Amino acid sequence: MQKFAPSVLVLALGAALAGCQDQGPQKDHVKINKNPYPSTYSVSDNSSTLITNATVLTGTGEKLEQADVFIVDGKIAQVGKDLSVSADNTIDAQGKWVTPGIIDVHSHLGAYPSPSVESHQDGNEMTSPNTAEVWVEHSVWPQDPGFNRAREGGITTLQILPGSANLFGGRGVTLKNVPAHTMQGMKFPNAPYGLKMACGENPKRVYGSHKIAPQTRMGNMAGYRQAWIEATEYKSAWEQYDAAHAAGLNPDAPKRDIKYDTLRGVLDGEVMIHNHCYKAEEMAMMIDLAKEFNYHAGTFHHGIEAYKIADMLAENGSCAALWPDWWGFKMEAYDMVQENVAIVDAVKNSCAVVHSDSDITIQRLNHEASKVMHTVNQNGFAIKEQDAIKWITYNAAKSLGVENETGSLSKGKQADVVIWDKNPFSVYSKAETVYVDGAKVYDRNDEKYQAVSDFMLGQR
Amino acid sequence: MTKFKISLITGALLATSSVFAQVTAITNATVHTSTKQGVLNDATVVIEDGKITAINPAELAADVTIDAKGQVLTAGFIGSMNQLGLVEVGAVSRSRDAGDDKAGIDFDTSTAFNPRSSLIPYARKGGVTQNVTVPHGGDSIFAGLAFVADLSGEFGSVTDKHTALVVHLGAKSKGSRALSYKQFVDKLEGQQKALAEKDDEKDKKPSLEAQILTQVLDGSMPVVTHLTRASDILEIIKIKEQFGINVIIWGGEDAQLVKNQLADAQIPVIVSAVSNLPSDFDSLHASLETAGALEKAGVKVILSIGGDGSHNVYQLRFDAGIAVSNGMSHEGAIKALTSNIADTFGIEGGKIAEGQRADLVLWSADPFEISTHVQKMWINGEEVSTESRHDKLRERYTTDSKLPRAYTK
Repeated sequence: MQKFAPSVLVLALGAALAGCQDQGPQKDHVKINKNPYPSTYSVSDNSSTLITNATVLTGTGEKLEQADVFIVDGKIAQVGKDLSVSADNTIDAQGKWVTPGIIDVHSHLGAYPSPSVESHQDGNEMTSPNTAEVWVEHSVWPQDPGFNRAREGGITTLQILPGSANLFGGRGVTLKNVPAHTMQGMKFPNAPYGLKMACGENPKRVYGSHKIAPQTRMGNMAGYRQAWIEATEYKSAWEQYDAAHAAGLNPDAPKRDIKYDTLRGVLDGEVMIHNHCYKAEEMAMMIDLAKEFNYHAGTFHHGIEAYKIADMLAENGSCAALWPDWWGFKMEAYDMVQENVAIVDAVKNSCAVVHSDSDITIQRLNHEASKVMHTVNQNGFAIKEQDAIKWITYNAAKSLGVENETGSLSKGKQADVVIWDKNPFSVYSKAETVYVDGAKVYDRNDEKYQAVSDFMLGQR
Repeated sequence: MTKFKISLITGALLATSSVFAQVTAITNATVHTSTKQGVLNDATVVIEDGKITAINPAELAADVTIDAKGQVLTAGFIGSMNQLGLVEVGAVSRSRDAGDDKAGIDFDTSTAFNPRSSLIPYARKGGVTQNVTVPHGGDSIFAGLAFVADLSGEFGSVTDKHTALVVHLGAKSKGSRALSYKQFVDKLEGQQKALAEKDDEKDKKPSLEAQILTQVLDGSMPVVTHLTRASDILEIIKIKEQFGINVIIWGGEDAQLVKNQLADAQIPVIVSAVSNLPSDFDSLHASLETAGALEKAGVKVILSIGGDGSHNVYQLRFDAGIAVSNGMSHEGAIKALTSNIADTFGIEGGKIAEGQRADLVLWSADPFEISTHVQKMWINGEEVSTESRHDKLRERYTTDSKLPRAYTK
């Protein structure tokens, strides 16, 4: 009982004064495990593959005719003409096109899976305007048949995001689109986490209608600012604790809060912002908000009005992940232009991305990019296939912070590769063979490489 | 006099057009007729007074001649199963008129159609010239009545109303589909009985609901049944046989399983070409190949946009391309956007033939290909533009100006 009283006192002091410590021997350093649900993904096939005579879009702005792509140990080894190498598998891709694996930065597969029955509504914790504590990976059902359909459309990497009802919706997760029966088995090794934020109508409607803040756009801004103030204090408390411990003192660790772990991750530059935000004036404020609290505003998703502030986005180094033509479902989606992606893309140092937010269009992001390319070329632009492919490969990888790993066919990159039966910007094109890290994960002409979800097995 | 009447109807168009009531000839076109004539190469199509008056006439006397230089001419595409003209912004309640809790059999939304909706010129970008608009309905299984409008965007562009009765059957989030079938059958039997007893009350004017049910029973008004599961399709085939009604299936994700029965029963099916996910236990066999498989079985297929079909009707041609790359014939897909809809709903248009409504689209190449665009299009014989407010916004933000953008108009 005597021991008990002082320790209560110490706890109280510890909470009130960060860095306060007792006189006993130094306690173990409390460290936060930043990767408690680690990837267990491993490459399934290490044989080498040579794809020959294809039209190759590298994802870095080049188009090579009659070119070869050589894959060794799951990595791109060489891209060029008449490679004099031998491989375990050689594929004659005469008349076919080869691109990097397609990347969708905005998907809800697994979290809002098919069938979309009551028990499967796991994509949005709509219980509080700030649910930064949730991690969407904990909702991912790897048996969602949508993953297979997306792979058949050439999707090799995708970010699953929680929904947009909250100011802070929680962590997103980047997955390799490989069949697996655990989430960890799909998890992209070492990809940075994303944090979903949302502007505009959704948070103010969902909470405001229950007389909970925010009810207005100014309420949205107040909610973000309050949270970042608290996150800054949380970060500071832990940094003081770490410093005191490192100095040989015996501090008590601050109280752990997984909500602020995530927000702190953003302030530390480890977690990337993915911000559902449609309107020009709101994106402009979100950029200032990030400056106010010293983090990066990240990628703006949906950005219907990104074309109005294309210069500002590029100047701030923000990607804009956009649709070619969705519009009109709410006021903030009213000012759509079909040229949005290309107008954003036209600015120097820009990062235009075509995304789906759909279990249907994720199957044809190549067509989505094509719609933009062909529409704008009617209106004075001169976008080529080698440019437009970047919107769904390299730029998308950059938005996710994995551009050094995937998203382009350059030496040393992960061999995430699609062979298309024809120009992927044709409406009639289909992905024929899909590789992830050099392993064949889909073949349109070989049932052996056509994955079937547990859910679909034996249905009649 | 006939000419005079037509020009009164389309008076608003007259002001902006110099060719109206003149003879327009489109020459050297690759004409996809959507008829038994198939595709005509180097063909001439003559338009006068809103009608197609001749195809490949022996002698040509036109006020305006357009050399198509081999480009493709199709009938205007027809959208369907959306709320075009009944919604401006999905989440803005005061811009929505497609649903009402009290909606039922006699819910006719044609009176709420807004031809000035910004969705309409946008839809024209996809070569869409007419649309079958359907209500959402309300609490009842009967959603109400479909109507047809042309996409001129002019007042008075509703061209047909009381076009079809829409009924929601299949899976329900509350209650049992069994009761839906019972309610449907009860209504039909009730009206049969009322008609049999009609002699006793000759002078009583029947209600609109009774009139509609009478038209349903005599087969003059088609019934669009919204359902997806194969067993539901078989159930509706039974009802069709029992009452001799004219049934259309809308949805039909699992229709492939009963494609031969559908062909035998001569039931047209309206599908989304891209619906290939098992969104519930009614649609475990949803597939990109559904449209082509139904076509091959001899079913009349209509393509419509799934999901929010109102704002993006323009995408129909891309959906058709996807249907083609998954087994549908190209001509079949053209018909699925034109004559099949017109025939199914008994409306004018959808064909390039003498006497038909002059709703035409001249395409730069294959209408389904993404690189193709609309060169020219005509609605009711009038040339129309594909420009919408979206283009105004693009121009504003891509035109240099020293003044704030608001001054760029």
